Amino acid sequence: MTLIVEDLVAGYGDARVLHGVRLTVGDGEICAILGPNGAGKTTLLRALSGMVKVRGRIALDGAELAGRPPDALARQGVAHVPEGRGTFMPLTVEENLRLGAYVRRDRASVEEDLERVHTYFPVLRTRLKQAAGSLSGGEQQMLAIGRALMLRPRLLLLDEPSLGLAPLVTRELFRIVQAVNAEERTTVVVVEQNAHLALGIAQQAHVLETGRIVLSGTAERIRADEQVAQSYLGYRV
Amino acid sequence: MAGFLQQVVVGLGAGAIYASLALALVLIYQFTGIVNFAQGELAMFSTYIAWQCVAAGLPFWLALVITLVVSFAGGMLIERVIIRPVEGAPELTLVIVTVGLFVFVNAAAGWIWTFLIKDFPNPFPDGALSAAGVSVSFSTLGVLAVVALVMGLLYVLFQYTRIGLGMRAVASNPESARLVGIRVGRTLALGWGLAATVGAVSGVLVAPLLFLEPNMMGGVLIYAFAAATLGGFDSPLGAVVGGLIVGVAETLAGAYVDVIGSDLKVGVPLAIILGVLLFRPQGLFGRAVVERS
Repeated sequence: MTLIVEDLVAGYGDARVLHGVRLTVGDGEICAILGPNGAGKTTLLRALSGMVKVRGRIALDGAELAGRPPDALARQGVAHVPEGRGTFMPLTVEENLRLGAYVRRDRASVEEDLERVHTYFPVLRTRLKQAAGSLSGGEQQMLAIGRALMLRPRLLLLDEPSLGLAPLVTRELFRIVQAVNAEERTTVVVVEQNAHLALGIAQQAHVLETGRIVLSGTAERIRADEQVAQSYLGYRV
Repeated sequence: MAGFLQQVVVGLGAGAIYASLALALVLIYQFTGIVNFAQGELAMFSTYIAWQCVAAGLPFWLALVITLVVSFAGGMLIERVIIRPVEGAPELTLVIVTVGLFVFVNAAAGWIWTFLIKDFPNPFPDGALSAAGVSVSFSTLGVLAVVALVMGLLYVLFQYTRIGLGMRAVASNPESARLVGIRVGRTLALGWGLAATVGAVSGVLVAPLLFLEPNMMGGVLIYAFAAATLGGFDSPLGAVVGGLIVGVAETLAGAYVDVIGSDLKVGVPLAIILGVLLFRPQGLFGRAVVERS
């Protein structure tokens, strides 16, 4: 699924956060969004999943998505793993996963996908009947990604998957995101503070500063950029 | 001993009615975080619709079905028209809106049907079952059976259906529910419709015991609040258990504590509300809000 974003303006009330973002993510690519706190990274994802009002153009394989509500976008195959993971705390792990497939009507393949999510995240299988709120942070992040996969997304949006997780758990999560991307050809947009990890799995990256994209390129090029290295990677090239 | 058991049975009968209205309160609270002060009045209005149908010559059970359907639609309509515009407003605003709805529905009923009391037919046969010196009227058995049925249907709806799962998702995390594709607005309206329907059942159960008049549900609402507080405002099961406990406590206090008698019985639910809020604010079955993050 090719994602094309043009002149995207978004914000909350009168406060404008994004000032004309333009980016293209190719079919089956992973795109990393880097940038400092407050740059508008989360808002960009929220715009892509219909959670904030937008102006401009968002097209997924030609279908216009801008201005449509989140539930309609979910039906279009946009899965958003939100900041804070969006866990349905009192519901069981299994119910959380099934909710990911809420808009799907193909019951048989939902069961298959449940099985598939268990193979990606074996720990979830052992917790199926447990309240999701009792999972650890890392497990909840796995649950959130598993829930998103249950949609069989055409576009997967990940907001800070590493937030609050141990480095080992984070690496494991990114490895799985990469595997999912490779196996299912899901287009992924990932917002991430940990630039090393994000650039490690992404084909291309964009640097967002105060609502504008200030640098775009392949992951290697961005990694090699002196400015980025200083600001986000913590070393000089 | 038989006298004591007799009082318990009477208490359970009353408690089942409180339970049904408490169930309606809890349904709305779960979905919208709103304590609906107008729940009793909506139930009263529904009961008038049933009365009107019966007065027009329809058989009772048909009148009941019509009432439940109209109540469901009415509940959804109220959510759309009155609650939606104040969605996310501060608690005080929401309280005032539901109190306003209370006054409006009460006055509307008085305007349409006058404040004169009306006889409401009892759907259950006269007579009673007796065993070991305790007699249980068919009316009490009927009320208990109906409340058990409502509880069972809600349980099946929430635990075993796709819509029910969606409703629980909305109650737990509306934003995340929207992201998985649930139409949250529609679900909230559904919750109000469901609550209005359950409330209508409680109105129809109360009316034959009291008389039908616009202020009929005032007292019942207080007991329902006590029941929901005791059981936990976020637990349907708690509402039912709480209702039964409140009913029994009230009846026993009235029968055995001289100073209370039948005049001060209404003090019992208030004492229960106060006690619960002081010592266990989440109620018996409610979740204290403590979560790992």
